[in-house]
Amino acid sequence: MSVDPALQPEDPATGEPLRPTRQPGYYPGFSTLSQSPFWEDATRDVVETRVENPPQRRFFTEVEWNFWHLVFAHLIPQTDRTEDRQVPLLPPLDERLYQNKTAGYRYEDMPADREVYRLGIEAIDAVAQKQFSGNFDTLPYRNRELVLESIAQGKPEGGEDIWKRMSPSRFWQMILGDASEAYYSHPWAWDEIGFGGPAYPRAYTRLERGEPEPWEKEERRYAWEAPRLAVSSRQAQTKGDNQSHHGSGGTH
Amino acid sequence: MKAPLFGSFTGQGRDKHMLGPLQQIHIPARRFKDEDEVDYVIVGVGSAGGVLVQRLARAGFNVVGLEAGPFWDTEKDWVSDETGSHQLYWTDPRVTGGKDPLALGANNCGRGVGGGSVHWAAFTPRLHPSDFEVYTRDGVAVDWPIDYSILKPYYEQLELEMPVAGPAYYPWGHPHGYAYGPHPMGGVGNALIKGCTALGIPVSIGGPVAILSGSHGDRPHCIYRGFCIQGCKVGAKASTLITHVPDALRSGAEIREHSMAARVELGPHRRVTGVHYFDRDGRMHFQRAKAVIVSGYAIETPRLLLNSACPGFEGGLANSSGTLGQYLMAQAGNVVLGRFDDPVRMYKAPPAHALTEQFYETDPKNDFARGFAIQTVGPLPVAFAKQMMAAKKAWGWGLRREMMDYNHWASFGLLGEILPWVDNAVTLAEEKDQFGLPVAHVTFNLHENDKRLIEAAKNKTMEVMQAAGATEAVQEPRYAHLVGACRMGSDPRSSVVDKFGRTHDIENLFVCDGSILPTQGSANPGLTIQALAARTADYLISQGDRVFQTVPRDMAEPPLHRELAPPETWGKGVPRLK
Repeated sequence: MSVDPALQPEDPATGEPLRPTRQPGYYPGFSTLSQSPFWEDATRDVVETRVENPPQRRFFTEVEWNFWHLVFAHLIPQTDRTEDRQVPLLPPLDERLYQNKTAGYRYEDMPADREVYRLGIEAIDAVAQKQFSGNFDTLPYRNRELVLESIAQGKPEGGEDIWKRMSPSRFWQMILGDASEAYYSHPWAWDEIGFGGPAYPRAYTRLERGEPEPWEKEERRYAWEAPRLAVSSRQAQTKGDNQSHHGSGGTH
Repeated sequence: MKAPLFGSFTGQGRDKHMLGPLQQIHIPARRFKDEDEVDYVIVGVGSAGGVLVQRLARAGFNVVGLEAGPFWDTEKDWVSDETGSHQLYWTDPRVTGGKDPLALGANNCGRGVGGGSVHWAAFTPRLHPSDFEVYTRDGVAVDWPIDYSILKPYYEQLELEMPVAGPAYYPWGHPHGYAYGPHPMGGVGNALIKGCTALGIPVSIGGPVAILSGSHGDRPHCIYRGFCIQGCKVGAKASTLITHVPDALRSGAEIREHSMAARVELGPHRRVTGVHYFDRDGRMHFQRAKAVIVSGYAIETPRLLLNSACPGFEGGLANSSGTLGQYLMAQAGNVVLGRFDDPVRMYKAPPAHALTEQFYETDPKNDFARGFAIQTVGPLPVAFAKQMMAAKKAWGWGLRREMMDYNHWASFGLLGEILPWVDNAVTLAEEKDQFGLPVAHVTFNLHENDKRLIEAAKNKTMEVMQAAGATEAVQEPRYAHLVGACRMGSDPRSSVVDKFGRTHDIENLFVCDGSILPTQGSANPGLTIQALAARTADYLISQGDRVFQTVPRDMAEPPLHRELAPPETWGKGVPRLK
C-alpha cells in the first residue's frame, strides 16, 4: 500500500510521518470485540454485524457514493489506519437514506435528508468552483480541505442560491454527524479512544478515578501532529457555539 | 478472563417475553373488540399512560392503552449500543423551527410501551413549592391551579413505586429524604462534588434517581454500565414498562401496540365516543370508549387534538380557549464539558447520579426570574463526538484528536427553567406522515428572561467545572425535555384542562402527560408527570360512573388510593423518613 507522507500524521519530535497502524490511539492492545462473549446475544449481533456485514449500497448512485466517500475521508480521516482497519463510513448512511430514517425532525430551513445529500453535492461543487475553479473531486487535497473548512465556518463562498434552501451550518452538522456516528459506533474506534463498550450482563465495577476494569487497558499517550496538508486540525482551537444535531446521548 | 467459563452469555428466555433479565410477563390474549364500549381508552402508554392504565385497571375499569410503538421485550429488542437504539425514539416526521429550534427525536421523545421513561436518564427531583406560584412570587408566567401540598403525597407515593434512590436528606424545595439508598459515585459525580465543594455549593450525591441501588423483587440492582438512555436492559432503571405495565396486564388491562391514534371522535352532547387509530398494517379502526385520556406528551397530544378538529371545534378538539399547542416549554440543557489531566471514564455509572439545586429559586440579585440546577451527564462516544463538533467546532483530524481524549472529559448538564410563552407552540404542518396525518410543526424562541438565565447558568456551571480541576471547559447549547402545550388552569379562557386534566370543553375527554404543566421549574419532569397521573387516576376512580354521565363537574380533591399501587411497592426500602 502506498502512503503519501504529506497525508500522514507526524511525530513532532522528528517531523517524520507515522506509519499507519492497525490501531491508533492511546490504548494499544485494547479490544472491545474480544469481550463480546461477555455481552448478551442481542448486543453481540448488532455490533458484530456492523463490523462483519456492513450494508451494501442501495441509495446512492456510484457517482454519488464516490463523491461522498471523498468528502467523508476529510470529515473523518483515517490515513493513520492500515487499509484493512479503516472503518467504512458510507454504508450506514446509505442504508439510513435508503430506509428514509431520520432523526425524527427536520429543521424548517432544511430540505428532507435525502434531498440534503443530493443538493449537498451541488453545493460543495459550487463552492469548489467559486473558490478554486474546479469540481470538488478534481481539486488537490488541501484545496478540498479549504472548501470544507469554509462550509464548517458557516460562510461558504459560492452556491448562494443553494444555501438559501439549505442552512450551511445545519448541512455541516448533518454530514459530519453521519460521518462521526459511523466511526464512533464502530468497535475499532472504541478501542482507539478507550471506551469500554457494552457491559451487560457483566457490569462495570471500578467507577472512580478513571481506573480501568481488569479487561480494559491503561492509557499510554504519544505525541502526534496532524498531516501537513490538513487544515481540519486547526478548527478545534476555536470555540463553537452551535447547537448540536443531538443524537442519543447526554440527555438529562 | 478471555471468555465466560460456560461459554458466551446469551439473552434470557428466548421463548418468553422478558422485561429485564428476571421479570417474565405473560401478555394475555384479552382483546377488546372495537365495537365494545370500554370505560377508558388511553392514547400513549408512556410515563403518564403507564401509571393511568395500571391504576384504572386495578380499580376494575375496562381499559385499553393504545401505543403507537411496540411492546418491548427488553432482552431481544434492546442493546448496549448507541446507534442500535434509535428505535426507542419517536422518529416519525416533524418540522422544527423558530429562532431557537428544538432538537426532537432522541433528545426528548419516546416511542413504544414505556415511552420516554424507557430512555430518560431517570433523575427524579420534585418540583419546589415555589414552582406552583411563580406568578404570585415573581410576576412571571402563571400559577398552577394546585399547590405543592396537593402533589406531595403523590411524589412520596411514586418515589416508592419506581422506586427512587437518593440521599437520606435532600435540602432543596420541601426538604425530604429517600427510602432507598444513594448510588456510588462515578468519575463525573466526583468532579461535581469536587467543584461544588470548592465553591461552597451543597451537592446531592447518588440521587435522586429512579435507578435501583439494591435489588428489588425481580429487578436487579444497577450494574453501572452507562447505557441508561439506550434503555436499561438490566431492569434497574424504572420505566413504566417494568414498574406499572406488568401489574396493569395482571389487572386485566389491554395494551394494544403498534396502534397510532389518528383522531378522537366527538359524538352528540359534546362527549367523545372513542378513538380512530391505525394498526401496524395501516388499517383504520375505531375503538369505542366511555371516556378518553390523551397521554401522548407535549407534541403528539396537541397534534392529535388539532387533528381531531370537527364541527364545533374547528380550531382543534377542546380548544375553545385557543391555547391548545401554545406555551410549549423545554428546559435549557446546555452541556458543559471539562477536560481533566487524569482519566475520568465518564461512560461508567449512570449519567444521572449527582446534582445541585442551589440555584433553583429566584435570586433578587439576578437580572432574571427563576433559576437552574446543575447535574451530571455521561455522553457515550457518538453523543460526545457531536458535542465536540458543536462545542469546539471540531472536525477531521481535530475531531479525531479530541475523541482520543474521550476518557479525560467529564460533563455537567445545566437544567434551566424556560418560561412558558405564547409563541412557543405546536401547530400542524402542511406535510403528512406515513398515515396521511398532518405532522407537527414546533416553533421555539428564547425570550429575554430565558437568555439571561441561560447565560448565568452556563457561567456558574463552567465555574464549577473549573473548580473541579478541569484544565479546559467548553459548552454546547441544547434543550432538554418538553412540557406544556395543553396546559392546566382554572380559567377555561386561558387553559385547556382543569386541575385534574379534564378538558374544560368536553366532560369525558382528559389529557394527562407533560403537556398539562403550566410551568416547569428546573426539575426533570418525569416524576411530576407520573405523580400527576396517579392523582388523575385517583380522581377518576373516586368519581366512578359520574365521569361517564352528564353531571356537574366535581372539583373536590380525591383521597389517595395507596392500595392501588403495584403490590411489589410494599415491604421494601427503609422506613419512610419524615
